[in-house]
This record gives sequence, structure tokens and C-alpha cells, in this order.
Amino acid sequence: MNVLVLLAHPNSDSFNHAIAERAVETLRSVGHEVQLLDLYALGWRAAMSAAERTAYHGDTPVLDPMVASHVEMLRRADALVFVYPTWWSSLPAILKGWLERVMVPGVAFVFDDAGKVQSALTHVRRIVGISTYGSPHRYVWAINDNGRRTLTRALRLTCGVRTRCRWLGLYAIDTATSDERAAFLKRVERRMRAL
Amino acid sequence: MKTYVIYCHPLESSYIASIRDRVLAGLASAGHEVRVTDLYAEDFRPELSAWERTHHLDPPETKPEITPYADNLRWCDTLVFVYPTWWSGQPAMLKGWIDRVWVAGVAYELPPGANRIRPLLGNIRRLAVFTTHGSSKWINALQGEGGKRVINRALRVLCNRRARTSWIAFYGIDRASDNDRERFLGRAERKARSLR
Repeated sequence: MNVLVLLAHPNSDSFNHAIAERAVETLRSVGHEVQLLDLYALGWRAAMSAAERTAYHGDTPVLDPMVASHVEMLRRADALVFVYPTWWSSLPAILKGWLERVMVPGVAFVFDDAGKVQSALTHVRRIVGISTYGSPHRYVWAINDNGRRTLTRALRLTCGVRTRCRWLGLYAIDTATSDERAAFLKRVERRMRAL
Repeated sequence: MKTYVIYCHPLESSYIASIRDRVLAGLASAGHEVRVTDLYAEDFRPELSAWERTHHLDPPETKPEITPYADNLRWCDTLVFVYPTWWSGQPAMLKGWIDRVWVAGVAYELPPGANRIRPLLGNIRRLAVFTTHGSSKWINALQGEGGKRVINRALRVLCNRRARTSWIAFYGIDRASDNDRERFLGRAERKARSLR
């Protein structure tokens, strides 16, 4: 499979980087074709610009060459893996901005004659989310895991009815022991192997 | 009332800008004292930096870039957001404002030895969101209304314990008529006027 891995953490020595590294290694070792997009390292711009917003509903909504290259990778992808820290129960701005600027009309979906959204990502068969949380699981559950909802519901609805989602969360990371972190990396490895 | 309005849209010609104008008109006619932040006009940087991440528990005085926003958050009793819902949530620009401004020492504190954050924005007693959704209410329900929960739950717990929330949303704007759009502007203004 062609797998596109998105990573959204500003610190290159973060645990999220360790997760992404382990995921990519494992995926490659079982023969998948993997592209890693480390959004901070790429200098990805989170905010949709005024020009992009103006072009959004036109024939050529993609203006930026970096966006265009990500669109090409997305079109080839059979699976999407998201690795990010959950901030304020949701995606970091840089990752939210990736959805907004890459998943534009003609790429992720098209508007039909009645103005309804039709999926254009039916080739994506798997969505995997891997996230770290400062809060314990119960608190995340009470507030709602809105980043997870964005990916496993909003994004999944634009993929296809057969797209399967998997979620791996490391909760209360601030108090997680090194054993717990190592065990989590093992889980990531197993999940990637079974993709 | 002291009302802080956060507005987020890249285009001054947008429908969201019209909503903002009507909201401001409503607030003015009700005699609110108003401060406005226009994130795009201020060229706000939404990406939390590596330094900010490393120093996320440091006192806010060490982060002068966010001081004006933090001062407004501490000053207001009513917090109003005006933005388009994209991918079922806040635009990245606005999410970045939350990521960078709602930090330790501004929105919450983590007393030494505690494992639970303590809210610091008890002055905020009222939250209101004016937003548009491209798709219908039904599709948004399926998607889980992530953006609504970020504000009404994740941010609200950092405000006053009794803080009330209002969600003034225009669903299905992709297929709405001019008449519908005009009607929503009227509703937004009336709602802003009666906020209390």
C-alpha cells in the first residue's frame, strides 16, 4: 500500500517524532511505500491565505507548489496515518490547516449539481490516528475527542463507506512512565504491521 | 458588558465579515464596550513554535507576542467568536490563536504537585459563537460537531463555572438562498443585541 504519514509536532525530539519514526520504519519493513510529511520541518503554513480562499470554489484552488506536491501524494495514498499531540481537545493548528489547504474541492471532494458534497477520496482505505494527550482518558471522553472526530468522522465521510479507522491514544502523557511509552511504541508497531 | 470579539476570515468581502458587522452593530446598540481582534488583518502566526511548546508552562510575561490577547481575555466578561466552520471545526488560524494564547498563566494554572489544571478565566461569564457550516445540520451531527465542543466544553471549563454558551449557526450555507443569508444576518444582530 501507499501510506501517507502526517506528523504535527514542533519539537524534533518529541515523543510524537519517536512515534512517527517507529511507524514509518515498521511500515517500510513490511513492504509498504511510505511518505512522511513532517509539517513543522517543512515550514508548512497553517492558515489558508486570502488568495487561496478566493480560488477555493474556482477551477484551480491549489496555488502553492508545496500544497500541489501534497495533493499528488494524497491522490496516490491508500492509507493516511496522522501523528499529533491533542491540544484543546483537537488538532494542532498546523494539521488543521493541512486539511483546509490540501483537502480542497476537486481533491478531497466535488460539489455535485445540487451543491452537495461528493467524495473524491474513495481510494483511501485506511485512516489511522495516533495521538498523545495531556489529560487522562476519562477527561478526554468527557470533553470529547474533537481531533479524533474530525479525522474519523468528518474526514472519513469524504473517503468512502468502506474506509476503516483505527485509533491509538497515549493518555496522561505527562505522568506516563518510560515503560508505558515503550509499550505504546510497541502498540504502534503492531498496528502498523497489521495495516 | 465588556465584550471581546475574535473574528477570523481571510477575506473582507466574505459573508462572515457581514456577520461580524451585524454582530458589532447589535453589541453597540445594546451598549456593550467592545474590543475586536481580526486575526488575519493582524497577520497572526497560528503555528505554536518549538520554543513555545518547550516553555508552555512558563509565565506569560515571557511571551510578549500574546500579551495583548491575554489582556483582552482577562478584561472581558463576554467572549464572542465569529468564524466559518471548516472541516467541522475552527479555521487553523483561529485554532492556532487558541493553541498559542490559552496557555498556562492566562487560561489555567498547574499548581506545583497538582495533576489537574485550575481555570483562570473566571471573569468570562458568557460565550457566544456565530458561525456558518457548508453542510446541513444532519451532516454536522454525523461529523460530531467538533468545533462546537472545543468551545462549549474544552474552553468553557476554563471560564466561570456558571458561564453560559450560545451557538448561533447557519447550517447548509452552500445551498442557501440570498433570502436565507439575509435572514441569518438579522438573527445574528438580534442575538448579539440580546446577549447577556
